[in-house]
Amino acid sequence: MFAPPEAHPLDMETFHSQISMPYTLTPGRAAGTFLAEMPNRRIVGSRFPDGTVVAPAQDFSSTDGEEPEELVQVPETGELTAFTRVDGNVIGLIRLDGCANDFAHRILADLGDLSVGMRVAAKWDDTDETSIMAISGFVPDADAPVGEVKGLVGPAEPLGVIDYSMSLDYQHSYGPYYGRMFDEIREHGRVMGVRTSSGDDALLPPREVDDVTHKRTGTWKACADTGTIRACSIINMEFFGLTREVPYVYAEVVLDGASTRMIHVIEIDDLETAKKNIKPGTRVRAIWTDGERKGRVSDIERFEVIED
Amino acid sequence: MSLPRTGIIAATQTQLRPAWDSAQHIDLISAVVTDVFKGTGLTLDDVDFIIDSGSDVLDGRSISNCGFLGALGAHHKEEARVEEDGLWAALYGVNKIRSGSASVGLIVAYSKPSESENIDLYWSSMVEPFYQRPVGFGQKAALGIQAQRYLDAHGIGDADLADLVAKRWAAAAQNDRVAIDAGPDAAAVLASGEAAAPLTDLMVSRPVDGAVAILLGTEDIASRLGRSPVIISGMGTSMETHAFSARTAGGLDSVANAAKMAGDRAGWAAAEADVVEISGSSVVGELLALEALGLADAGKGMDAAMSDKVNRSGGALPADPIMATGLVRLGEAYRQLTQAGSGSPSRAIVHGTGGVAMQTNCVFALEV
Amino acid sequence: MGHEVGIVGVGQTHHARRRTDVSQAGLVREAVDRALADAKLSMDDIDTVVIATGPVLFAAVNQPEKWVVDAIGAQGKSVVRLTSGGGAGFAGALAGYYQVAGGYSDRTLVVAYDKLSEGQLQYSISTLYDPFWGREFAVGIMGFSAAYWRARMDVLGHTEEAAAMVAAKNRTNAIANPYAHVKKEVSVEDVLNSRPLCWPIKLLDVPPISDGAAAIVLSNEKKAHHSTSTPAWIRGIAYCCEADNAPERSLMLSEPLAIASKKVYRSAGITNPRRQFDVVEVQEPYSCFELNYYESLGLCPPGQAADLVASGATQLDGDIPVNPSGGCMGANPIGAVGVIRLIEAATQIMGRNESHQIKDAKTALVQSGGGWANLRGCAVLSA
Repeated sequence: MFAPPEAHPLDMETFHSQISMPYTLTPGRAAGTFLAEMPNRRIVGSRFPDGTVVAPAQDFSSTDGEEPEELVQVPETGELTAFTRVDGNVIGLIRLDGCANDFAHRILADLGDLSVGMRVAAKWDDTDETSIMAISGFVPDADAPVGEVKGLVGPAEPLGVIDYSMSLDYQHSYGPYYGRMFDEIREHGRVMGVRTSSGDDALLPPREVDDVTHKRTGTWKACADTGTIRACSIINMEFFGLTREVPYVYAEVVLDGASTRMIHVIEIDDLETAKKNIKPGTRVRAIWTDGERKGRVSDIERFEVIED
Repeated sequence: MSLPRTGIIAATQTQLRPAWDSAQHIDLISAVVTDVFKGTGLTLDDVDFIIDSGSDVLDGRSISNCGFLGALGAHHKEEARVEEDGLWAALYGVNKIRSGSASVGLIVAYSKPSESENIDLYWSSMVEPFYQRPVGFGQKAALGIQAQRYLDAHGIGDADLADLVAKRWAAAAQNDRVAIDAGPDAAAVLASGEAAAPLTDLMVSRPVDGAVAILLGTEDIASRLGRSPVIISGMGTSMETHAFSARTAGGLDSVANAAKMAGDRAGWAAAEADVVEISGSSVVGELLALEALGLADAGKGMDAAMSDKVNRSGGALPADPIMATGLVRLGEAYRQLTQAGSGSPSRAIVHGTGGVAMQTNCVFALEV
Repeated sequence: MGHEVGIVGVGQTHHARRRTDVSQAGLVREAVDRALADAKLSMDDIDTVVIATGPVLFAAVNQPEKWVVDAIGAQGKSVVRLTSGGGAGFAGALAGYYQVAGGYSDRTLVVAYDKLSEGQLQYSISTLYDPFWGREFAVGIMGFSAAYWRARMDVLGHTEEAAAMVAAKNRTNAIANPYAHVKKEVSVEDVLNSRPLCWPIKLLDVPPISDGAAAIVLSNEKKAHHSTSTPAWIRGIAYCCEADNAPERSLMLSEPLAIASKKVYRSAGITNPRRQFDVVEVQEPYSCFELNYYESLGLCPPGQAADLVASGATQLDGDIPVNPSGGCMGANPIGAVGVIRLIEAATQIMGRNESHQIKDAKTALVQSGGGWANLRGCAVLSA
């Protein structure tokens, strides 16, 4: 068993990164109708050709993919069939009256007071939200009458989309190689890579094993903060997540002494001049931040064209 | 038509740790890709293709294989990413070799769940976003309900579960492939926090960081290593419905399906195996898997679980490198089949799983 | 050698900018229903299923096959998902191909999709970049693709005008494609005069953002005749890669595509691609890429792609039509595109292409790919 390098990169612990985005998700007809009916305090289910009813409504049977015949209104009462508690919330499976499946939702009661087979009823939240959380959960209700599945009279138009967001946070490890590189950037304002397994040019970012030969890389070396554009484009459109004003140049720069790219930006005045002056082969220089260096690529604020 | 048989040439892994905070993904990956060739007489030049398993959500990057190709040794080779446990990547690799289009393939799986600030998001993003996600129905809730039903149906107490968990941790602590200082005893298992009642934290598999690599080859090449090769003689996989509540309560039908597929090809049933390496997402999941494999009747999984042939490595409970766990089991079974002096086992069953409450399952049959 | 593998049924959705009437899972169902009907089969006849999509971040569902499985009625079957960015569909087809060729299944359904209206396309692709090294300055895939083109522009003569010819050709071809959703005749001048987005890429060099799914049924030689008397046999298929930031990486010829095509041509008996292929379908996420493929696939020598497109050879009535379907310019549900290209090529071989049937097409070439243009594959289909 091979152990990766154990060395810790000086005092750099982890690198925080966040991926966070808005979404517009389409629920489809069944779930779209279900959600649209939440403010009306109606629970929508699907009736399949064999007569079985499931809730919440599905466009396709969970057992075989069959499509339902119609959407129906199901009772908001039923029996608790299973339960657990996660992070303090009791989650249960509820068999709504007249349904052939179990509905997963919150149970608003203490775990110790629950038993399988107990009668429960929906507790509606005081909200007009088109969300399944318009039902805050189900509460034990020993006297809840047994409800019946009914036709869905005057169904609401299914929601076409719902707003959604997802945010993921990471603490990425530097490892010994990135750790050394970013420490050098922060402490000394220089970009260091490791030589390829067989040549003198440095790999940026550095790593233990050469991407091409899969052999151990060589010794460390400092690269210059001048370099040559290998590829570039002029960014002139705005989209979610873009953090600077357009137009500007996206450049893949090979620093002198290195063999692989650093991705960075070059500020420009206008598109037409940039087309002529900034191209593959153009010589550029890194402009470091005047402020405190943090040990990131963005400690280099931008690159500038080296005038002849 | 008779297609070539496929064997395992070598297997290796990094140590599995709660957090490999001194290494990046590429460090773990390149470590196993370098190591797997030792003693085989082969080099990366002999490898025709690479199939890898990892998760964009765990890695914090899209198309994460794309940034790891160099570490994988894949430069200028055929490469594919299976976004499922590595045992499914191995299934792909076996098919490719059996088709006759390749002789040697490298299978790699890895993960660093420690880098996710909230690992629960990996699971909650897996359930559909309209009904289940908002109410908090995800991996833990499903495992809890699965366990509650199992205990109720069979009159088993949580102390029995704790004994099994302690046994698994003790087994894992026997080798240096899993980082464990001292395994918890049954009391400590019961005293650990609540994961999803009735399961405590230690009754749910522990996410760990690590990487694993398996070298596959035609039987001919596997045989050149000078001893009887380990042959993959059967494979099967099956995915159940997304709706946890619509699955058979108290059983894992997809494990049974996968085991039948593998058994039909191999010509023998899982119960005949000398070595069984399975991936339970929880201690009850492990019992259900053993029952579905046919090693025990419903509710009697504990008897099989306590047998010496099952999860000698400790299984997934003490060390679950999500996306790599099943492939680690394949490596463990390979090691047990090839180790001298362990009772000369000749058949092994390997199991991998994925999804909420083990929605999808994969079974391999191995023999020497 | 393994089993022969043929495409015996195909189906795709009518792609759209945004489908608000179906979920991701429902979208997949539409393509699957069509492919199964086309193959005269039901899900019961399918042994195994391969699902392919682009990155999870496109639509906020992790491992979406575990949700989609219910919509296609594949519960209990062998189901696995492949992903490979833009080439996901092709990578899925390749995995399905080996399931059949390697004897794991007799019939495999491959379905690929993306519902791009649900997320933030360019931003989610920016997360392809190393979070430490480059993501701070990433501009989706368009910034990179434009830069990659710029590197070739002067050296190989892949001019703005040559790319505009590709865009105009494909956009015009898409008008007849019943599954396309962008159907507008544009001229080379229109493309050249369109707004620069990531120069040299301009608005009309860019395909639409689409919701769509596509499915194929693969069968071995024993069972193919149940579905069709004219399967499109896969004579060779491969998908190769290169390390994204390798010191020797050429931005000129696509080395992984050249390696894949060499391998595929050898197994398919192709020695003169320009002459032997009757039709070609390529995945051109931006117009400039098609020029690169001409050279990397050996349809012309390096540096002559601009001449090839200018000669009209790749037009519908040329000697080697490329993208008679309109390619990505008519619809671009990214993860599905690899399968869409296979479908368009397969139906040419079967003599029933719905966009522009090339007369007597017998042998077709399909290209697909993804990542930082570093995952590249191709396949040869013939009767």
